[in-house]
Amino acid sequence: MKIETYPPTPSPEVEGEKNRNMKNKATAGLGWSTLISMLVSLFMVFEWVPTEEDQGIVQRIFYFHVPCAWVAFAAFGIVAIAGVFYLWLKDQIWDDLGYAAAEIGMVFCTLVLITGSIWAKPIWGTWWTWDSRLTTTFILWLLYGGYLMLRAMADDTPEVARFGAVIGIVAALDVPVVILSVRLWRTIHPAVLVTRAGEHGLEDPRMVITLLVSLAAFTVLFGWLLMLRFQQLRTRSRLFTIRREVALIEAAAQDY
Amino acid sequence: MEHFDYLFAAYTIIFVVIFAYVMFIWRRQARLEVELRAMEERLKNLKTAPPSSSAKTAAEN
Amino acid sequence: MAAFAAILRKDLRLEIRSGQSTIALFALSLLIMVVLVFALNPQPVDRARDAAAALWVALVFAGMLGATRAMIAENENGCMRALTLSPIDPAALYAAKLAAAFAFMAIVEVAAVVLITLFFNLDFGGDLARLTPSLMLGTLGFAALATLLAAISSRTRAGDLLLPILAIPLFIPAIIAGVKASEAALSGFPLAAASQWLGILVAFDVLFVTLGALLFEHVIRED
Repeated sequence: MKIETYPPTPSPEVEGEKNRNMKNKATAGLGWSTLISMLVSLFMVFEWVPTEEDQGIVQRIFYFHVPCAWVAFAAFGIVAIAGVFYLWLKDQIWDDLGYAAAEIGMVFCTLVLITGSIWAKPIWGTWWTWDSRLTTTFILWLLYGGYLMLRAMADDTPEVARFGAVIGIVAALDVPVVILSVRLWRTIHPAVLVTRAGEHGLEDPRMVITLLVSLAAFTVLFGWLLMLRFQQLRTRSRLFTIRREVALIEAAAQDY
Repeated sequence: MEHFDYLFAAYTIIFVVIFAYVMFIWRRQARLEVELRAMEERLKNLKTAPPSSSAKTAAEN
Repeated sequence: MAAFAAILRKDLRLEIRSGQSTIALFALSLLIMVVLVFALNPQPVDRARDAAAALWVALVFAGMLGATRAMIAENENGCMRALTLSPIDPAALYAAKLAAAFAFMAIVEVAAVVLITLFFNLDFGGDLARLTPSLMLGTLGFAALATLLAAISSRTRAGDLLLPILAIPLFIPAIIAGVKASEAALSGFPLAAASQWLGILVAFDVLFVTLGALLFEHVIRED
């Protein structure tokens, strides 16, 4: 005899579907917000903001270059914090978050280096120089690279999440020392080229507004990408859990 | 416009890279979901109909 | 404390008994120095800078080889699991591993320093004494870092490759500061002149020894 509860409680499959729909709505919302804010930002960068006097139109790279750096640093922080939470709470969700953030951080760190280099060539006459900011960003890129190499080479190791958390924390705490040492290195032996002029001397208020809008747009973009990849890694983790459960049941059955 | 090439290159690269990453995520998603559904099915089958060998031998002993 | 001493003694004894690989290490140090001599083509005027550079390359090299030896042996014999299950405080275990790594690195560095003195025309008394602070601080920092990272890398596939990939970027601030401090020392400046650089080295060491002690247990646990 079947006992009906009233109102009928939804089965786990239906609940799962509902959660998935909510997540999809959030992702879609972020996606559209990203598109709109990026388009607004692009308009401002190319149509609205005035050209800077000394550097010409190349200076406009700055409006997307700086937000990339902001995202890269923010993502790095998330990797570290997620690492701490993972070691503390031991919930796989924190590892998924950290891994997603590390990937995205790497993408944007690469963009910082590339866009910075493209800007440097016409302005400074060289693709690369060891000034303090470039050097620090490059080291950050190497640190991200190490984390991702660990995941790439060792993802089948059962403890890889813990290892990743440790690396993330260690790398984040190394960053202040890096910044300190590189800055000292470069003040005592300054780069041959003149340090970036006009970067924080934005004369026209329109430039400041454009920068702020770009920062906002990239933050939304970051949120969207993080949401996408994080969800995907959650799905992957769930897959691994189910795989393990299936394997366990099948192994137990064979024992008989 | 002086140095327009550089400006164009920078913004193009930004969009290409971000787009590539989104594609990377998208392509993986389909594969993941197929495998997930398959695994969930398998798990459900294993749970609702336990392997007959174990039930038989348990009953015999 | 007793546990620390016991483990350290064990590792050192193991190392002394397997004398073969130590000789190979010395040989390799010599050859790295030779490569650097031909690469840098040292002139008397650049003496301090080139010697400092060679010294720190040698340090990183010694660290790559020396720091992993303790961990690899443990994992091969399943000794690590035994140590983890025992009631030893993981921080004490880390300290013992760190001391062993430091000792191994120091042995290799002795050879490297002798060679650098000969090849780059330093003098055995004053110059070596002046180099000691930066060298010791750098060795401690790298040993602290590598002990923690080797515990991770030795449990993964291609762990030998992973260790330098993880360790070297993290060690860069120490290299920057250490080379500058060593160079200042070899140029005859008093210790105080290099105080900023030495300060960074000290901060680095404190940071990584602390981090290592705190995080080591998470890395060696198996479940």
